[in-house]
Amino acid sequence: MILLEINNRIIEDSLTLKFNNAAAGNKPEAIDVTIADFDGVLYHLSNPGGDKTKVQVSISLKFYKDLQEHGADQLIKREYGSFLTTPESGYNVSIVFDLDHLPANRDEVIKKAGLLKRNCFASVFEKYFEFQQREENSQKRAVIHYREDETMYVEAKKDRVTVIFSTVFKDDDDIVIGKVFMQEFKEGRRQFQQAPQVLFSHKEPPMELQNTNAKVGDNIGYITFVLFPRHTSPAARDNTINLIHTLRDYLHYHIKCSKAYIHSRMRAKTSDFLKVLNRARPEPKNVEKKTFSGKTFKMN
Amino acid sequence: MSTTLQPYLKAVRQTLTAAICLENFSSQVVERHNKPEVEVRTSKELLLTPVTISRNEKEKVLIEGSINSLRISIAIKQADEIEKILCHKFMRFMMMRAENFIVLRRKPVEGYDISFLITNFHTEQMYKHKVVDFIIHFMEEIDKEMSEMKLAVNSRARISAEEFLKRF
Repeated sequence: MILLEINNRIIEDSLTLKFNNAAAGNKPEAIDVTIADFDGVLYHLSNPGGDKTKVQVSISLKFYKDLQEHGADQLIKREYGSFLTTPESGYNVSIVFDLDHLPANRDEVIKKAGLLKRNCFASVFEKYFEFQQREENSQKRAVIHYREDETMYVEAKKDRVTVIFSTVFKDDDDIVIGKVFMQEFKEGRRQFQQAPQVLFSHKEPPMELQNTNAKVGDNIGYITFVLFPRHTSPAARDNTINLIHTLRDYLHYHIKCSKAYIHSRMRAKTSDFLKVLNRARPEPKNVEKKTFSGKTFKMN
Repeated sequence: MSTTLQPYLKAVRQTLTAAICLENFSSQVVERHNKPEVEVRTSKELLLTPVTISRNEKEKVLIEGSINSLRISIAIKQADEIEKILCHKFMRFMMMRAENFIVLRRKPVEGYDISFLITNFHTEQMYKHKVVDFIIHFMEEIDKEMSEMKLAVNSRARISAEEFLKRF
């Protein structure tokens, strides 16, 4: 698979199982699952208060405070309204499903539950897309520290929205492979006119972040996406958010895949070489010989 | 460019065939020890003149001979960043498995990417002409492998960028 999925399969599958179980009229079983997702996000599927007829899905994001500043709460309320409940302790958002009163549109609800993480992110983008649609400049830049050393910056101008990802390459080789990937991203516009403009800056932050205290270092890269009105329009908005918010994970996933592929090729080539080398060894000659008088003996 | 490959490999092959005439020679310095003289380098009279065969500035082979051992160091063509790291990874991968490879040296000689050490014990156990065949085959295959891996990384980059951007 080339593109990463934005929904969480585990949540969708677990909920489907539970809902189908309940719909068939079987006795509900207890559930307690903790799931990890990209960017240090944790989900918790449980039965609140031990009540097996209710299934609670909670999500914890370390950077939820940053998202709240940009209206994450309102968006979550908008999407999950009736299912929202007070967040479980240690988690940021919780939605609960009653297995005795299953919602009519089960599949849609399950899909929405799988998109919890995406919807948490969406609020920032939607806010800034709104700014651009109204042709205003955003006064403040949005700063989301979605990972330990990595930050995302969103800014809106009259005719564009700029999203900048800072990413850390833990390994020196990753930097070189990452550069190859970013080169291709930069040139994507030649083939696809509709694609956003992509810029990459290694070590130093790009022009837009010049005076902020953005990190500088050998293994740090900055990826800038310039989104134009056709990407931020209400029609294209959801699609754009879907694609952009997992960009960093997408890039690193493919870098790791390349390394794994190179590794398996090296392994194959090495065993190839070994075979050729072993041809240099003479085969052991095991010949049985007979003397004139009839004695047989083995030669080595 | 590739017209120089065949004469290059032919020269390496002929030099190797000449240098791989090794015989057993116990150490003159330490009693009851048998060391590869090309590594120890204590007695000058046991060492032969080292020969460097260059295809160009970046690609060359250094062949150092002695009475009981032969050291071959190869510098591989690395045109850009990505070839450098691929070469580095590949050589490190193989050198970690030097025990399996028998004739491979665990560390390359200064200024080169990979080194082989062939002693008289190896030539006693293996056919000399086949060992030379192996080294030449190795040199050919390395270049091919590196270009293929580089191609694989580039095409993966192109395809993933394409898939991502075409959805906008």
